[in-house]
Amino acid sequence: MAIKFPSEEWIKEWENRLNTSESYAQAAANWEGDNIIVILPDENYTQTTYIYINLQHGKASDACFLKSLDEKKALFTSTAPFGTWRKVLEGRIDVIQAMFSNKIRLIGSMAAIQRQPKATYELVKVAGTIDTDYGS
Amino acid sequence: MHGYMGRILHVDLNRGRLWDEALNEEYTRSYVGGSGLAARCLYDVLDAHTDPLGPDNTLLFLTGPLVGTSMTSAGRYSACARSPLTGIWGEANSGGFFGPELRYAGYDGVWFTGASDHPVWLSVVEGKADLHDAGDLWGSDIYITQTRLRESLGEAKARMACIGLAGEHRVKLAGIANDHGRFAARTGMGAVMGSKNLKAIAVRGKGKVPLFAPDEFRIITNQVLALFKEDMPSKSLREFGTAGYVNVGHMFGDLPIRYFQLGEHAPADALSGVDMTEKFLRRNTACHKCIIACGRETRSPAYNDDKVDGPEYETIGALGSVLMIFDLEAVIHAGHLCNLYGMDTISLGVTIGLACELFERGLLTPADTGGLEIRYGDAEMVFRLIELTARREGFGAVLAEGNAALAERAGVPELSVTVNRLEVPMHDPRAYVGMAVTYALSPRGACHMEGNMYDLDMGQSNLEDVGLVMGNRHENSIEKGRTAARLQAWRNLYNSLTLCEFENPPVPLLVGAINAATGWNVTGDDLMNAGKRIVNIKRRLNFKLGMTRADDRLPELLLKPLEKGGSAGIVPDMPTLLAGAYAEFGWDPETGSPPEDIPL
Repeated sequence: MAIKFPSEEWIKEWENRLNTSESYAQAAANWEGDNIIVILPDENYTQTTYIYINLQHGKASDACFLKSLDEKKALFTSTAPFGTWRKVLEGRIDVIQAMFSNKIRLIGSMAAIQRQPKATYELVKVAGTIDTDYGS
Repeated sequence: MHGYMGRILHVDLNRGRLWDEALNEEYTRSYVGGSGLAARCLYDVLDAHTDPLGPDNTLLFLTGPLVGTSMTSAGRYSACARSPLTGIWGEANSGGFFGPELRYAGYDGVWFTGASDHPVWLSVVEGKADLHDAGDLWGSDIYITQTRLRESLGEAKARMACIGLAGEHRVKLAGIANDHGRFAARTGMGAVMGSKNLKAIAVRGKGKVPLFAPDEFRIITNQVLALFKEDMPSKSLREFGTAGYVNVGHMFGDLPIRYFQLGEHAPADALSGVDMTEKFLRRNTACHKCIIACGRETRSPAYNDDKVDGPEYETIGALGSVLMIFDLEAVIHAGHLCNLYGMDTISLGVTIGLACELFERGLLTPADTGGLEIRYGDAEMVFRLIELTARREGFGAVLAEGNAALAERAGVPELSVTVNRLEVPMHDPRAYVGMAVTYALSPRGACHMEGNMYDLDMGQSNLEDVGLVMGNRHENSIEKGRTAARLQAWRNLYNSLTLCEFENPPVPLLVGAINAATGWNVTGDDLMNAGKRIVNIKRRLNFKLGMTRADDRLPELLLKPLEKGGSAGIVPDMPTLLAGAYAEFGWDPETGSPPEDIPL
């Protein structure tokens, strides 16, 4: 059964899948950095949502919703409207392309992203394997 | 003429005669400037009998209407002639400050004819031009040449374009250096300068470009500047230079490895532009009025290089991953040697890459190379080959003729990775199939600056207003062919405005800037049509020089799928893509000819 995005269940499923993905473990073996994903409202989504996930050396932990950006600091903050995140998760836009085209606004070290683009690519690819209900 | 200095300096090197001619207004209005206007001018004087290295070839340096103004990214110039490497339209473009300074000195361009019977250099200072003996400069590298010319002129702010040893020896891969180590690198324009015994051009002036509506122009250019301060690709270019693309390009299967035969190879990530920034960057360098500053000044302690211009992404690929060299310091050093001697790193890297491949296959042996073992991964050998090529010594004389000539000499033309004899740059058309059109139809042979589909399909543009939108990079379709053709037209326009393609202001702002500079009243569609007109004049000239529709093709090696990586299994569908491009340009599907009813 499809899991609603975004939801606690979806976030935990993502974390679990990252921790069992060999391809993510390999691509992100040198990755160090937690991430806040900001989902902005658009015509199909009415609120601003913050998702935190800690990513260290190919493993994920502490995935949860945040109430605001003040609740926790992270090395990376990636911001985009709901529709853009949906396209990225469905593989209709490559996440790296989305960053370079300013569709996802990134705050944080570009060096990490550009040195290890596969870590970001696999992070999203794993999320894309979840049977997801986007609500429309 | 607003937006133009209004005159071209003519230099007859046979007689040592110099004179001014007014810029042809009719041609300029249709072909804008830079390489477009040069193509229209040279269409009248070049033909199939023109010897590219003979005195009857002409060499034209031209700028565009925004060069030297407050417009960001407008610091480029074009150098154009019949190419000795390809035999067709030759064009090389470069940024820096030479183009703006030429305009401040009073000219939109310089047109060389004939050949001097002894080495000379040209000075253009405050509207006054003179030829000088260059006997004492002949044999000097590009840095020494520029330093001595500056001293000789007594003008610390003079800007130079010059050749190194490779140009003097008419190496067909020789480029023209300007502003220290920037290069108008491609198609052998440095060899054309060498064939004319022309070592350098030095320019200095304090003039201003006359603008039609200066206040409006300033408002627009300020708006453009503000846009690029927070732009993600601009920030990336500022921080890591073009080399920042290495790892991303590798992930997408865009970075050529082992002479375009591997789609993925983990050691290639060691060529990272991020690592280069952290370990070897001295400082960023910028062109005239550029806020990105993608230029790199690096060092390579292992080779005692304290100050090196570059390397850019293209050099890292051509002298690194193509040759299976994954040591950044070695690549920086190889790039530095090419700079000193004045050679195109793309063409030389891909030519040495073929030599490595021929050696692997036993098609080249030490008996052919004067005893040299040319193997992948051997940086010291690459350094040696660069030196030999620049001097045309030993096997270097073979490499000096380029990749296609080497493949023919070895009896395996199918192993050449060239289009119309120009070596393929570091963007694989299997990673972005639109690049197949860009390369196959590029008027100067395989060239990434004639349609950067990798940027468009990465989403890095503001060109929706002229029908250029991001698409699926692997989509083989008629529409992809059309899009690549439109982008080729737009980039040919850019090379005529002589703008840098790294800053793409939204079309309405670009249109506004051009109109405010020139007093024209053009639209975005008018500009796209001008781009197509420019592609067409170059194509007509190429047909006049002997090219046919059969030359619209990719090298065989690039039509074989890669086994691994981000583009594994993908090959461009050439008939489909070309059909779309021909339709967009309005060319005859059978002959590839532009319609005859399109006026020149």
